[in-house]
Amino acid sequence: MSEYKLKSKRYGGGFRAFFFDWMILILFVALVIICCVSNAQFRTMNNIMNVLRQASFISIIAMGEFFVILTGQMDMSITSTIGMTSIFFAGFVVNNGMPMGIALVLVLLMSAVVGLINGVLTVYGKMPSFIATLVVMNVLKGLYYIYSRGLPISGLPSSFNYLGAGYVFNIVPFPVVMMLVIAVILWAMTKYTAVGRAFYAVGGNAEASRLSGINTRFVGILAFVLCGVLSSVGALGLTARSLSGNVSIGEELLFDVMTIVVLGGTSLTGGRGKIFGVVIGALFLQVISNYMVLMSINTYWQWVVKGIILVAVVLIDSNTKKD
Amino acid sequence: MQGAQAARSQATPLLEVRGCTMEFPGVKALDNVSFTLMPGECHALVGENGAGKSTLSKCIIGENRMTAGELYIDGQSVKLQGYSIRESQERKIAIVHQEFQLMADMSGLENIFVGHYQTRGGFINWKKLEKHARKLLDFLQCDVDLSVPVKNLRTAEQQIIQLTKALLNEPKVLILDELTAVLQEKDIQNIFRIIGILKERGIGVIYISHRLDEVFSCCDSYTVLCDGRHVGSGRVCDIDKAQLIKMIIGRELTNVYPPINENLGEVVLELQHLTAPKAFTDISLTVRAGEVVGLAGLLGAGKTELVNAIFGNHKIVSGKVLLHGQEVHIHSPRQAIRMGMGIVPDERRRLGLNMLFDIKDNTTLPNLDQFRRLGIFQDLEAEARAAFDVNEKMNLKYYSLWQTVKKLSGGNQQKVVIAKWMLRDCDIFLLDEPTRGIDIGAKFEIYTLIHQLAEAGKAVILVSPEMEELIGLCNRIYILFEGKLMDHVEGERKTQEVIINSLLGVNEHE
Repeated sequence: MSEYKLKSKRYGGGFRAFFFDWMILILFVALVIICCVSNAQFRTMNNIMNVLRQASFISIIAMGEFFVILTGQMDMSITSTIGMTSIFFAGFVVNNGMPMGIALVLVLLMSAVVGLINGVLTVYGKMPSFIATLVVMNVLKGLYYIYSRGLPISGLPSSFNYLGAGYVFNIVPFPVVMMLVIAVILWAMTKYTAVGRAFYAVGGNAEASRLSGINTRFVGILAFVLCGVLSSVGALGLTARSLSGNVSIGEELLFDVMTIVVLGGTSLTGGRGKIFGVVIGALFLQVISNYMVLMSINTYWQWVVKGIILVAVVLIDSNTKKD
Repeated sequence: MQGAQAARSQATPLLEVRGCTMEFPGVKALDNVSFTLMPGECHALVGENGAGKSTLSKCIIGENRMTAGELYIDGQSVKLQGYSIRESQERKIAIVHQEFQLMADMSGLENIFVGHYQTRGGFINWKKLEKHARKLLDFLQCDVDLSVPVKNLRTAEQQIIQLTKALLNEPKVLILDELTAVLQEKDIQNIFRIIGILKERGIGVIYISHRLDEVFSCCDSYTVLCDGRHVGSGRVCDIDKAQLIKMIIGRELTNVYPPINENLGEVVLELQHLTAPKAFTDISLTVRAGEVVGLAGLLGAGKTELVNAIFGNHKIVSGKVLLHGQEVHIHSPRQAIRMGMGIVPDERRRLGLNMLFDIKDNTTLPNLDQFRRLGIFQDLEAEARAAFDVNEKMNLKYYSLWQTVKKLSGGNQQKVVIAKWMLRDCDIFLLDEPTRGIDIGAKFEIYTLIHQLAEAGKAVILVSPEMEELIGLCNRIYILFEGKLMDHVEGERKTQEVIINSLLGVNEHE
C-alpha cells in the first residue's frame, strides 16, 4: 500500500514544470494586470464582458481545431464551415421560413458532414489533411457563394439575438456560459473517457495505438467531425450577434484559431495539449486585440502584432525541451 | 604513468582517455573512466544499457564535453575546451551508429559522399566519386550496388554503405556502435572479416555490442562499464564469458535460461496453409496452451509478417486461422485483441509505446474497457492501481507511474510493452524479438517472464534472431526460409546445426 502511494504520487517537478505547463496562464495574468493598470477603459465591467463574449465564440471554434491538431492533423476548412453555417442558417430561416430549431439542427448536421468528408479524405483517402481540407474549404466556399450570390442574408428574428448577445442573470453574456459548458464537457471527455484518451494516443503514435486496439480511423474522423460541429456552433453565435447570414464572417478567423490552439500549448505534431489551454489562449489573444483597439492601433498593425505573437509562441514551443 | 604504459606496449596509443567524468544535471553518467586504444586493436566496450558506453563514445568524438578528465589522441593531449565533432574528424576519428543515418531515397554513392562532393567547374564529378567508392569497397572486399536507392538494399548492405562512408576520411580510430544489433549471423561474420582488414591497416576499432559472443569472436581487448564506473579492462583471451557477464551485471548468472514448461494443454492457435503474397506461403503450425513456439529465419524470411498476419495486421489471401479449434477471420488488431491476443512488436519505440504517454497510460491503453464506470467514464484510480500491480509484478524500475516511458531504459520499456498485455490477461502472446537492443540483465528478466507466461498456460509465439535464445526458451521451433516453412524442430533435433541448415535453405532430407 505504502509502495503504491509512493509510486502513484504525482511529482510536479516543482515550479519549472508548472511554469512550462502553464506558461500561457502566467503570461495571461500578467497581461491582464498590465492592461488593467495602464488603461482605465480596459478595466470597465462593460469592456471585460465584451472581451469575454468575443473570446467565447472563437474559443469554441478553436476547441474544434484543437482536436484535429491533437491527432496530428490540420483543418483549414473551418473558415468555410463558418461561412456555410451562417449563410445556410439565415437562408433556411429567412428564405424558406423554416423554424429556427430545425434550421439549427440542419446546419449542425451539414457541418458534421463536412467534418466527415474531411476525415474520410484524410483517414481513408490517406490525403495530407492540409490539402484535403484546403480543397474542401474552397469547394464549400464556392457552393455557398452560389447559394447566396455572395450577398448577406439579413432579417433573422430578433429573438435569435440572445444566442450571441444575451445575458444570463443580466450580467454574464450567454455565449460565455455556452463556451464554459462546452469546455467542461470536452475537458471531461479528454480526461475521463476512453475516446478522449484515444485522441492523445493517436496523436502521440498512431501505429502503436492501432496495435493496442484503438480504432484509429474512427478517432481520426471523429476529430474532424467535432471540429466541423464546434466551428458551426461558434458560427451560429457570430451570426446571432449580427442577425444576418454573411459569407465572409469566418474568413479572417483561421489565423486567430491556429494562434489560439498553439498559444494554448498544443503540440503541432499532435499528442499533447489541454482544452483549458485553448480557452486561455483565446482570452489571451482577445485581450491583446481589445487592448490594441482601445489604444486605437489600426487593424493592419494588429495583424503584424498577432503574427509576431504566433512566431514567438511556436519558436518557444519548438525550442524548449519538454520532460 | 610510465610503468603501466611501458609494460603494455612500446607503441603510442591511438587514443587514451584518463579519468573521464561526465556529469549531466543531477546525474553522473561517467565517473573517472579510463580507456586506452592501441593501433590495430579491436577493443570491446561492454556494459548494460545506461552503463555509459554511448556517453563515453560521445565524449571521444566530441559530441559531449567531459566535465573532467584528459584526452590524448596519438599521444598528443587534446584541449577539451572547444573540442568538437569537427575536430575529432580532423583527428581521424569516425563513428558508425547503430541507427541508420542514410538518406533512404538516395543511392549508395550519393550517400557515401554527401557533404564531401568533389566538383569540377561547379559540377559533381560522379565518375571520379564512383571510382573512389569502388576502391574503398574493394579494400573492404565487399560488393554493393551503389546505383540504387539505399532503401532497396538489404540491411547488411546498408551497414556496408555506412562503413564505407566512415572510411572516406581515412580514420585511424573507428567506433562501431552496435553495428550488428540488426544484422543476421551471416552478415555479422562479414563485419568481423571487415574488422580484420581494418586491424591489419593499423586502425583501432572500438566495438560496442550487446552480444557477448561477438566480443569473443572478434575483439582483442575489453573494457567493462557498470553504472558509469570503470569495472575492468584486459585482454579477451584471459577471460571467459561467465566472468565477463559477472563483471557486466555485477553478479553471477548460474542458470541463463529458465526451464521449459512441459505441462501443455489443448491446441490454442492453429494456422492452416496461411499465405500472404510477397511475405510467406503455405504456413501451417500449432501452438498449445503453456507452450513457447519459436519462429526462426533470416531477415526477410517472413517472420514479422507472419506474426502480424496472425494479429490481423497483415493481409492474408488464403488459409485458415483457428482459435481453440474454431475458424476465425481477423481483419484488424482490434479484433485480435478481443479474441485474446497480445503483441510485442519488433520496434518498441515505433510500434510498442507512445513516447508522450506515461507508464500508466501506456500500460492501460489496450485495457481501457476494463476500467469503465457508468458505461463511459474511466476509473482513473483503478487504472493507476492496476498499472501499479502489473508493473510491480514485472519488476519494472521506475519511481512514478506518471513518468514518461521515454526515459526508461530499453529493457524497462519492453517490460511496459509486455505489461500492457499481462494486464489484459491474453491467451496468446506474440513476441517479435522481445529482447532486441536490451541489455543482458534485462534479457534474463524477459526470459523469466516468458517462462512465467508459459507456466500460466499462455500460448507464446517467439520470434528471435538469436538461435541460442530460441533453443533455450522454446518447446518447438519452426524455421522459415524465404517465406516457406523449411523445418520444424523439437527435442533432440533442436540444435544450432540443424537450425542453421534450414535457415539458409538447405534441406537435409534431400
